[in-house]
Amino acid sequence: MLFFGPIYGLINSYMSDINELVDQIKQATDYQINKRILREKIITDLHFTYNGGLFKATPELFSFVVCWNSEELFLEDTYQNPIKVNRKEFIDVCGQHYQMAMNHWHIEHEQLKRTRKV
Amino acid sequence: MNNSNAPAKSRGVVLFAHNTPTVNYERIAEQASRLITYTLNLPTTIITAVDDTSNVRIGYANATPWYNMGRYRAYDLSPYDETILLDSDYLILDNNLLKILDTTIDYAIMDKNQSPTGTVDTPAILSIPMVWATAVIFKKTSKAKLLFDLVARIQRNYGYYKRLYHLKSNNFRNDYAFAIADNIVNGYQPRQGIPWTMLTADKPIKKLEIKNNNIILREEKSAHVIPRQSIHIIDKDYLQSDEYVEFVDTVCQIK
Repeated sequence: MLFFGPIYGLINSYMSDINELVDQIKQATDYQINKRILREKIITDLHFTYNGGLFKATPELFSFVVCWNSEELFLEDTYQNPIKVNRKEFIDVCGQHYQMAMNHWHIEHEQLKRTRKV
Repeated sequence: MNNSNAPAKSRGVVLFAHNTPTVNYERIAEQASRLITYTLNLPTTIITAVDDTSNVRIGYANATPWYNMGRYRAYDLSPYDETILLDSDYLILDNNLLKILDTTIDYAIMDKNQSPTGTVDTPAILSIPMVWATAVIFKKTSKAKLLFDLVARIQRNYGYYKRLYHLKSNNFRNDYAFAIADNIVNGYQPRQGIPWTMLTADKPIKKLEIKNNNIILREEKSAHVIPRQSIHIIDKDYLQSDEYVEFVDTVCQIK
């Protein structure tokens, strides 16, 4: 019995190491899942309101308004309503909103790339 | 030009909470109310025991009573001109819903839902787009009133509507009633709801933490790093736990 004592101790020690490893693996986080969730959140954040309409700040929308040749226009919002837009004002709001959301995305994404375990 | 004499429209959040033998919804709603006050800076009204007609919950907490029959009364019971109607298990951690209040639409319902792993429970409604009554935003307009009146009618005549819309489930859910009512109000045409996806944590939760503006969601077999956003939590046991209260305490302390 005295001979087996240290062996049992060793086995117990290995088992507790394995249990610890299993716990750590369970807490490992999946980069691809986190990346997708982050993208969904940024899509939410890209939405902004202007003059009672809801818009998603996209490069296409921004470019279209920048290229428009008069100071007032009507844009279709997310809810398919025509919204009266002051071109300069809209460019400011849309541009700032786009910049803010995309900067946030970049920062959060860089953090996520480094996160393997939580 | 804005009319400076026009009275400001009141805004607030309405929660329904009716305790069951297994779930203390009032406790859950109190914590939800703290998060709402902190995040949206809006008053919250918790409506309790509005209807004693019990339903039977299928799926989560199998075959326990479930009081979900009074939601159609939100239009009349809401003291606000502009209301965000929420389930008490929807944790408000960002202010994106305020954007919908700033638009001119009469109402909007959440119509996209996703779990962290990208899956959602299969809806029993097949013939029209599904909506999630977890978050409904409405203003006191005739169109919004029509929506809630229709939800009441669908609830009263659920057997008929169940067959008409080929619902697979016998169990009444507000999600189905709002989906059908929304479809009818909009002339049987698909309509844009809240234009982003609701995140639903559909597995039992071990722990929820907030670190560096990220939420760490620990489930039994995995963990997710979620950017700070509102989350729909299915696990009612976690929502009744002291750990959840501690999580809300932490959120409300972060400046």
